[in-house]
Amino acid sequence: MVEGLIHPLNIFLLGLGGGFLIPLLYRLSKRLPAVAFWVALGGIAALSGICFWRVLEGGGVIEIETAGSLPPLAISLRFGVAEGYFAFLVNLVAVLGAWQLWRSLRESYTTLLLYLILVMGINGMIMTRDLFNLFVFLEIVSVGTYGLFGLGRSPSALAASFKYIMATVLASSLFLLGAALLYHVCATLSIDELIARRGLIAGPVGATGLMLVLACLVIELKPYPANGWGLDVYETAPAGVAAIVSVGVSAGVFFALLKLLPLFEPHLTLIAISAAITFLAANLIGLRQANVQRMLGCSSVAQMALLTMALALLSRSGDAELNVAFVIGGLFANHLFAKAGLFWLAGALNRERIRDWNVLSTGAPFVMVFAALLVAIAGLPPFPGFWAKWELVMQLAVNGDQVWIAVVLFGSLLEAAYMFRWFCRAVGDARGEDAAVSALMRWRRGLMPSAACVALLLFGGVVAAWEVGAASAWLFAPLVSGVILLASEGLAGRVKCVLMLLLVSAVGFWLLQGVGGISGLFGALFLAGGVVIASAGLYRDDARHGYYPLMAVLLLSMIALLRATTSLEFFFCWEMVTLASSFLLALSPSARRYVLQFFLFSLAAAFLLLAGFGLVAATLGTSSFSAFVTAGPAAAPAFVLLALGCLVKIGVIGVHVWLPNAHATADGDLSAIFSPLVTKVPAFGLFMATYLATRSQVGLELAHVVGWIGMLTAAGAALLALNEPDMKRMLAYSSLSQTGYIVAAISLMSHLGWVTALYLVANHMMVKGILFLTATAIIYRTGLRRLEDCGGLARRMPLTFIVSVAALVSMSGLPPLAGFGGKWLLLTAMLQKEWYGPLALGAVATLIGLLYMFRFGHALFLGPLKRALSDAREAPAALLVPQFLLLAGILLLSFFPKPFMVPVSAAIDPQFASTLVWQGMSLELIYAYWDPTRAIVIAVIIAAIGWLALWLIYRGGRHPAQVPGVARFFQFYRLMLAPLRKAYVERFWDGVAIAAERGAGAARLHRQRTDLCASGTLLCHSALFPRDRVSQVVKPVMSSIFKEKEGKKMRNAFLIVALVGIVASGCTATERGAGIGAATGAVVGGAITNDVRGAAVGAAIGGVSGAVIGNVAGRPGQCYYRDRNGRRYVAACPR
Amino acid sequence: MRRLFGAIAVLLFGVVLSGVATGYVERIAPSELARRYLAEVPLDLGAANVVTGILITYRGFDTLGEVAVLFMVAATVGLLLGAETRGTSVASRPEPRPPSELVSNGAEIVLPVIFLFGVYVIANGHLSAGGGFQGGAVVASAVGLMVLARPSIGLDHGFLSVAESLAGVLYVTVGILGLVLAGGFLDSRFLPHGALGAFVSAGAIPLISALLGIKVGAELSVIIDRFRS
Amino acid sequence: MGLPISHVLLVTGLLLMLIGLWGVFAHRNILRIIIGFSIFNTGIHIVMVATGYVTDGTAPIIDRALPVGEAVRRAVDPIPAALVVTAIVIGFSVTAVMLAYAVRLHQARKTLSIDAFTESKW
Repeated sequence: MVEGLIHPLNIFLLGLGGGFLIPLLYRLSKRLPAVAFWVALGGIAALSGICFWRVLEGGGVIEIETAGSLPPLAISLRFGVAEGYFAFLVNLVAVLGAWQLWRSLRESYTTLLLYLILVMGINGMIMTRDLFNLFVFLEIVSVGTYGLFGLGRSPSALAASFKYIMATVLASSLFLLGAALLYHVCATLSIDELIARRGLIAGPVGATGLMLVLACLVIELKPYPANGWGLDVYETAPAGVAAIVSVGVSAGVFFALLKLLPLFEPHLTLIAISAAITFLAANLIGLRQANVQRMLGCSSVAQMALLTMALALLSRSGDAELNVAFVIGGLFANHLFAKAGLFWLAGALNRERIRDWNVLSTGAPFVMVFAALLVAIAGLPPFPGFWAKWELVMQLAVNGDQVWIAVVLFGSLLEAAYMFRWFCRAVGDARGEDAAVSALMRWRRGLMPSAACVALLLFGGVVAAWEVGAASAWLFAPLVSGVILLASEGLAGRVKCVLMLLLVSAVGFWLLQGVGGISGLFGALFLAGGVVIASAGLYRDDARHGYYPLMAVLLLSMIALLRATTSLEFFFCWEMVTLASSFLLALSPSARRYVLQFFLFSLAAAFLLLAGFGLVAATLGTSSFSAFVTAGPAAAPAFVLLALGCLVKIGVIGVHVWLPNAHATADGDLSAIFSPLVTKVPAFGLFMATYLATRSQVGLELAHVVGWIGMLTAAGAALLALNEPDMKRMLAYSSLSQTGYIVAAISLMSHLGWVTALYLVANHMMVKGILFLTATAIIYRTGLRRLEDCGGLARRMPLTFIVSVAALVSMSGLPPLAGFGGKWLLLTAMLQKEWYGPLALGAVATLIGLLYMFRFGHALFLGPLKRALSDAREAPAALLVPQFLLLAGILLLSFFPKPFMVPVSAAIDPQFASTLVWQGMSLELIYAYWDPTRAIVIAVIIAAIGWLALWLIYRGGRHPAQVPGVARFFQFYRLMLAPLRKAYVERFWDGVAIAAERGAGAARLHRQRTDLCASGTLLCHSALFPRDRVSQVVKPVMSSIFKEKEGKKMRNAFLIVALVGIVASGCTATERGAGIGAATGAVVGGAITNDVRGAAVGAAIGGVSGAVIGNVAGRPGQCYYRDRNGRRYVAACPR
Repeated sequence: MRRLFGAIAVLLFGVVLSGVATGYVERIAPSELARRYLAEVPLDLGAANVVTGILITYRGFDTLGEVAVLFMVAATVGLLLGAETRGTSVASRPEPRPPSELVSNGAEIVLPVIFLFGVYVIANGHLSAGGGFQGGAVVASAVGLMVLARPSIGLDHGFLSVAESLAGVLYVTVGILGLVLAGGFLDSRFLPHGALGAFVSAGAIPLISALLGIKVGAELSVIIDRFRS
Repeated sequence: MGLPISHVLLVTGLLLMLIGLWGVFAHRNILRIIIGFSIFNTGIHIVMVATGYVTDGTAPIIDRALPVGEAVRRAVDPIPAALVVTAIVIGFSVTAVMLAYAVRLHQARKTLSIDAFTESKW
């Protein structure tokens, strides 16, 4: 008996029975409808869940037959894995949605029953295997939404609903006609039989039917440009209703498309193109939206288009069913929960305009849920969308659909842009604090469904990771650590910092177990450097909500990244780093305006990587790093993409605009993490990419280009640093310049080059850590940021002064500290490879580096003490201790390089041992170059020549100023370099942003009137038609136009002749009767009125009467009888 | 401009549809599925009207869905028109013009006939052209006429709503009976199918027809009445 | 061969669809638009019935005129007829909803022209 209750059919019994019962129960008691509603809805969700579980557990597909007959005769439904998955998820969202919408739902029992039957209708659309039954369920769903739209009371909501009704009625009418035509051709309505007989759908009738069905489904998915009606309704409907339309109804329609897809096999490319246009355009339009729900609507349309596109593309290539299921399932679940959650949040906060969003006052839970949902929408880890998008790109790459990869990634980038712009505005500043209290009151109710969505998404992400074979404890360790720290958010700031340090040390150490080679070296640097620098956070005693968990995620993700053995794991960690750093940046109030820029450039870099990994996987057939060794020349494009991704993330000159902004405005200790540590992540990536390049033959030439880029970055960023008045921004530019050296060193792709690169990485990390902490200390003590404003601090902050000078010396490449060794190695390596151009650039960069670093030290610490600074004190110990620890590291590296260099060299050996690039140089030989005396002499000579040259220019360029001195000297050069301040690159990127916005505006204007555009979509689909059909139709039309010129009478005659012709060729008696009647009528009518219209009316009347009169000529002895249905039949005449 | 777009759209649509018009070939014999229906409905279900047999049994799931659509529409119209107009606009509305003598007197004569005809159509759905929907529509048209003839008359919405809900619930129950007692959900064969052409025949089809008739009649009446306000 | 009767019906239905569509596109009055949809739907229903016709067929109702054995040969396809009943009811339902919205729109702006609803782009 219990077994009988757990059957998918009971979903419909609950839905309909519950729906029909609700009014009855209302008569009995006002409360009963609510009880019945929840019982039925909960029952539907539970049933679908249990049945789905059973199907998954190998219970086999559940075929549901109605009326005790088999499919072609009766309607059948199916509950398989796919159906179960979709139905269960939709039902879950429906339950949550009812919870969110409860306040308006309970107002009237009518809405309860509408909601219930609507949910049942979506289940029906998913399960049914009958074409006409699909239409009925489509109508149930449509009417349900029309009814729920009635909850919106404003005139604009009514108007939007009416538009929506017009569009969907048109669409479903097309479906109806299409279904009828398909039945006419295939003589069945069962979808399975239709698919089996799809060969019959060849003629014009079948093709039209098929096209109409497709047009309906495509229109229902709101294609661009015919989606204004959808967006309007998303904008004006109550958020809960909009959410159900966005995820539930779309899910039903999408599943219908999925179900019927085998029928559309010849048109898959067309579907994909239509979806791609919609995907890009909807995301472009999204950029311009000012209304939250409308923007979510755009994103919704785009997501459905992405699903459709993925489905069409993957089916076109005949990919394995499991892969398709993974991609579609992941994307779908992601869209479902994330979009519904966001709509519900919008409803809970109840602010229409994006600029009115100010969620900070609503409390941390709200912001966290909000951010998590946005992350999910953007397809970032750990949510299902990330895994699905990865798989999608991999599959597309394998199928050779590179252009489609570009479409997917570009659209996703646009989507992330407007979604995160929303986030940045929402957390932007603390306007409207007065509204805080009421908002707080509201969110407690409104937040729960969305929070449940986040939980489900997280669960889905883990499941997806498990499915894809990437679920391992270490991969999720950073996240788990973050969650653990999040649980202890109530503690004092410093306690949390200590906890974070302990956790990071422990987990980081665990993560690094068994990691060797270059990764191990980077790991040691990241762990040690990260913990030391992050400990500087102790100087602040405020709570810093969210900072420490995110910091733990950031540091541990960086370490986990090194452990990655497949490109998927690598990319996962990479995205985690991006996310953690973006959100950390968002925690710094002054940096919020740059978060979006930072995030978008990071994401663009990540997408380049993703595309690159896709290509690698396509050529190698695996995503495992160990297989990279076997990469042939075919992997060259992949190398380019990977390298580009890393270079964008490094911020090489040209795409550097985001980096100084972010690094300079972040909180002090945060920029001390960003600049020295996080920039090394892409450097590590570049190591991997170049490693790939050594395998492909074109790689080496490209390496030369990368070398140039590196040195140009080094020189360009040095110039910018020299120009910069803001101390942190100057340090950021300097960081960039130093990274440029590293890039160049990596691109050398020789043993020596790589040793150098690692050496520089270590050195730069420690040096920049010290200097950023110095800047932090000075800003903390004085509140000043501009170099000119400071001066003479050496006496007030002697310890800071000492470490800073040591760091500056080390960085500038002056002997005897480590930086010198690095630069020397680099120049030597370049000489070795005969890269004279980059070498010269490197020399220039070094010289400029000397200048700006001298300026930094001088402006801050030397000269007379400014009066405003007279009460400045020494930096807090929390900042000094890490600095001195780092200094100790520098000293170690400088004076005892061997303990570092030997493992470095050993780590690199396996990378190059088997390749051509080994220079045949022993370790001893490398060190032999590093002859201190010779080096010092050469370095001093170069430096002296440079200084002399500059001094001469200075003297010659201008009369000596009144106060000759270091400050004047720099002022002169900064004046000379003033043109650089105009920042062409930034203008370029601003231009890109503006162009995107304009494009969005244009795309929006391009949308013509909605109903017309629905038919515009039809126009697209009329491409389905064979060409000759069009000409067949156009020709008579043309000729009739031609005839019109010859006069009206001519046309009349033509019409009458045509009618007579019909009669003459008529064959059956009845028809001839009708025809004769019609012709007579036409002639009479035409004669009376002398007008075509008259003739037509006459023909109609005559035809009808002719048919009624009928043909009495029959068989002898037989008579006509009429049965009670008014039907004539022939039988023997009564005698 | 608007008309131009409209014309283009219609023209395009015409082009698409002309394919149907030119490519259409009339069937010479019923399709295989239709033949199966024509053979099995009378024998298996005992319904003389094959269309009704298909509608109520084989495609009963569609019919149930269709009933649900109608039910939702009645609810939606009530939601849209009931709530706001009740308080405000009825009071301010001028006294409606009384119906003409012809209508009011004609209605008195015709109404019983129409109602009777509706019941006949409902009850004979399994034997001849007709059925629950058709008969329900006839009944509702009588209600429409009644409302026209006597604008002051108020329909008892409570009764109608109970009637339609009860009919709906009973319909689902009959469906479940089919599931339990016969081959599947909405299977009408759990009652004996009797002699073909007899009034009491065709299993549960007349029962379902009657329920449909009540439900459709009640729903359409409610919808008509909602628009009256 | 001349035009079979169902072909005439089919073309009539198609023409009605086009007329309805024109009504939807060309008019600014909501009621007229709804009537357009109604005509469009009616056209579809006629097309559906037309496609179900079988040459020389009769209604699929078994009685003296059409004994059981003959039905298989002489009756028209009963399926489109069954479908069209459902379709008509649904068409009616949708029209009712649209009319209800029209009433509400009229209450909101005291006019039935869609030009009055400027909030959303039509």
